[in-house]
Amino acid sequence: MKLMHTKLPEFIKKMKTAAEESSNPKQITIRGLENLTSAKMQSLRTGRIEHAVREMTMREGVEKIDFVVIPRVPETMHTVIIKGLGKDGEIKSAILDIVNILHPTEEAELLGCEDIEDRRPGIGRH
Amino acid sequence: MAKLKYKMIPEGILEGKLIPLNIAIIDYKDVKAANVTPKQAFEAIAKTIDGPVGMNIFDMDAVTTTSDGVMVEGTVRFMSAADKGKINPDFGYLEMAEMPYSEELVKEEPHLIQWQKNYAGRKLFRGPDPATKIIPVHNVCITGRASNNNSATEMMNILTMEEILLPILGQQQILKNGKVILGMTGGIISVGIGMIMPEKFGRIFPTRQFPAGETAHGSGIYAQTLKAEIPCIVADKAILAENIIKCIEAGCVPGKTVGASPAVLSVARRLGADIDTGNITERAYEELASVGFTKEWITEKVDKLTPEEIIANADDIIPGVVEGTKYNVPDLIKETEIEI
Repeated sequence: MKLMHTKLPEFIKKMKTAAEESSNPKQITIRGLENLTSAKMQSLRTGRIEHAVREMTMREGVEKIDFVVIPRVPETMHTVIIKGLGKDGEIKSAILDIVNILHPTEEAELLGCEDIEDRRPGIGRH
Repeated sequence: MAKLKYKMIPEGILEGKLIPLNIAIIDYKDVKAANVTPKQAFEAIAKTIDGPVGMNIFDMDAVTTTSDGVMVEGTVRFMSAADKGKINPDFGYLEMAEMPYSEELVKEEPHLIQWQKNYAGRKLFRGPDPATKIIPVHNVCITGRASNNNSATEMMNILTMEEILLPILGQQQILKNGKVILGMTGGIISVGIGMIMPEKFGRIFPTRQFPAGETAHGSGIYAQTLKAEIPCIVADKAILAENIIKCIEAGCVPGKTVGASPAVLSVARRLGADIDTGNITERAYEELASVGFTKEWITEKVDKLTPEEIIANADDIIPGVVEGTKYNVPDLIKETEIEI
């Protein structure tokens, strides 16, 4: 079961629930997934992250949760699909290309914070 | 405690141009004199800066090639990016790979005939070995907002998305306290950057992806806009002219064994040197022509000048850089010293 993947809407709902229905409920904002419409999220981590959200609601001095998803490797490789559509919306022609995107790493989200617990496994590990 | 000195360009406005992040350029000799490793030097400098910084350790004893294939003295050996004192452990540090001399290498990369003729015995470094980095494509270090890209020749603040171009000869002049131009890149430099030479472990590409005479941009009339509005610190054009002349005198032919960039073509034309117009691709011509360097311009008969005359008139002969002002480096960039 641990190799299964969670549906994107279910993932988002789980995180909201973990924050808002905690015994110490907190508001949560979720950023970084806005551009995804159809995705499967790694289940093994989904449970751990849910647990971490719940844990954060319990921490002293925490008033609300900001939940951010950024690329782990700060250069992502993308395929660009340029579609030429006909009058009925059918794809008449297409050009494929690539674009590599550079992103800030986590330090840009954590400026000024010293209480950071890094639970991430090494790159390439689950 | 040892002392480590370096050139520091603070984030902000410098003589009317936006410097998007802090920039530190360190002479490798000073790192060795301080008896620390390159990584320790970067960590020590990063700790003194409360913001994003790109950092380069430059070895004046080694050599490199410019993007269009001109071999020059001095090169970045180590690069880093830090933010608020931290260096990302996975992505914040890279070392360039030494390319040992061999006849086989020169056969594969004929612009390296310059090596034995102009810089025999000097070590060559360009980009990193891709096996040593996790980032899949670019030769880039990233920590937080700071990005140090293309083997330390362009730096960015990824949050504001502002960038600065730091070509290798400009960095060389900064460390030599020589002369630089601070300006904006403009369309001609934007096109010129695409006229690269095929190199293994190159500054931009890890493999020999594009042959001489070809454009890496492949963008037609759009090439002039790709890197057109970026602040840059480049070497005085007399320095660039001197290096291009050395390259051509060593036997490199623009379009065939050195890149057909506007700067190289402009010097070659005045020298009366051969230009392999037949080897320059139509795609490259389209980009060159979009900023005025047509096939007719390249082959037009012009008065031949001596190397000395070209160097003396380099500001008029070599195109590129808009809104540029020339500075003696000490008048523009300060030296900083820290205890380490």
